[in-house]
Amino acid sequence: MIRKPAIIARNLHKWLGLLVGAQVLIWLLSGLYMVIVNIDFIHGDSLVRNTQRELGLPGTTDTGVADLIERFPEATTIDFTAIMEKTHYTIRTPDQSFLVDPVTGEVVSPLAEEQVRRIASYHFNGEAGISRTVLIESDPPMEIQTRRLPLWRVDFDDSFSTSFYIDPVNGALVTRRFSFWRIFDFMWMLHIMDYEERQDAHHPLLIGAQITGLTFALTGAWLLFYSFSRRKSAKPTGSSP
Amino acid sequence: MTLLRRLHKWLGLLIGLQVVLWLSSGLTISLLDPAKVSGRYWTQSLPVEPAYLPTGEILEPDELPPDRLRGATGISLTMRHGQMVYRVFGPEGERLLDANNGEILVFDQDHARQTAKQDYLGTGKIVTVQAGKAPDLETRRHAGDYWRVDFSDRVSTSIYISTATGEILERRNTYWRVRDFFWMLHTMDYQTRDDFNNSLIIAIILVAMWLGISGVILLFGSFTRQQFAFLNPFSGKKMVEITLLDPDGGPSRKVSLTAGSNLFLALAGQGIDLPSVCGGGGECGKCRVKIDAAELREPNRVEQGLVPSPLRKKGYRLACQMQAEQGFKLTMPRSQ
Repeated sequence: MIRKPAIIARNLHKWLGLLVGAQVLIWLLSGLYMVIVNIDFIHGDSLVRNTQRELGLPGTTDTGVADLIERFPEATTIDFTAIMEKTHYTIRTPDQSFLVDPVTGEVVSPLAEEQVRRIASYHFNGEAGISRTVLIESDPPMEIQTRRLPLWRVDFDDSFSTSFYIDPVNGALVTRRFSFWRIFDFMWMLHIMDYEERQDAHHPLLIGAQITGLTFALTGAWLLFYSFSRRKSAKPTGSSP
Repeated sequence: MTLLRRLHKWLGLLIGLQVVLWLSSGLTISLLDPAKVSGRYWTQSLPVEPAYLPTGEILEPDELPPDRLRGATGISLTMRHGQMVYRVFGPEGERLLDANNGEILVFDQDHARQTAKQDYLGTGKIVTVQAGKAPDLETRRHAGDYWRVDFSDRVSTSIYISTATGEILERRNTYWRVRDFFWMLHTMDYQTRDDFNNSLIIAIILVAMWLGISGVILLFGSFTRQQFAFLNPFSGKKMVEITLLDPDGGPSRKVSLTAGSNLFLALAGQGIDLPSVCGGGGECGKCRVKIDAAELREPNRVEQGLVPSPLRKKGYRLACQMQAEQGFKLTMPRSQ
């Protein structure tokens, strides 16, 4: 049988390479994408404007929070929400939410599609128009799987397939997605080998591949010891002319 | 091929250590139980009763002291720790204002101790409560003052509580600290640990791509057809007979090898070890043998580099580059 460690190392490196080489290459490629493309860009920071503005307060003659607490005894939270610079109240109860216009004191939620489009355009940092709006009430796409529904999806007609997801109650820009984010998400799926949820990095398939991959890399390191030995270190073999 | 092989091994020497670190840190991170890393494994989840806003005395936002809301990007009226508060989100993070008098709430050491005790399910006791300021290594996603409550358990639990909101910022323990160390090795960001867009990792991964691509190309060339014959059970195994000549004119031997197999490996499989340092990689040139055959193929690039020309003309080849053929007569090197 084969006894030489160099031969064993070389054979292991070859066969393990055949076994996990493709996945190691996928790890490298997906890693490359994730380190090269800036994460703030991936999060869509460059797609939006008019966020993180200082809130204006409702005027003294407007409906106040004391009135709202009287009117909504189930309220657990009252948020001050800016819709295109005008501050509104979002009343949250354990079951549902309402948007209240502080000037009229009326419930104005859910927002009309037209208003959702205006809010989306107000936040969109680009020239493109809106190509599609749809209210998602069930079966959310993968890219918003953790978000609470319903949500408006507003698609823009730009080259990155930008989508804004907007809360139908208070017009909040819940999240944004575009092709770079979607590619990142796909790469992350490949990286952690969770092809269903794309979230779990603690599962047997990944761990098995990592152990095989690590063994593969270590046999490569082992081989380095043999691969840098040249002929000059060889003893004469007696077969010289 | 020789150039690729050289590239592959030099790149391996250059960044192989980081590749091993990537794989071992990735493995470690995957092995650690996420519930223990996040600390929720030792966390008591209490049923949350809805806390309704009470009617009665309350300051409207414009009745609050004016500087309290300056720069606020978010305001929210809600219940916290049994009292009605305004949560104010500003450039310095979140703070709570008493909705009845507008005072800024500050949570003391006793509150921190109480909150941590209520949250914690482990067996340890509180050892120390100390003040600190985020962001630091363990509270790097936050800003502002905190209380750090340390427990006397095996995993050195620390629960961080914000002085401004009285709420738990983070739960840290040995699992998290180990994971975070390996995360640092994985992202190669040795300062903040979270910035995986740093130029060092970009440079190394670009080099690693070449290591990977050259490896894939080499992989294709490193197998002989015969090594995959086992995939087809119907193809009969064809054997060839090879004669091994003693260099000193002693008796010759005959061995039977699988046709088309790598000569060096096939001989090693029979217990006949030719001299070699690299183990059949075409690197060291030590496995050269004189081959007498009816038709001997021309020396390849590897042999041109490693076998001197006069020897090549005499029929010397590298065993690791040859495939076994019927009728080969090999002159074995003198045993050392």
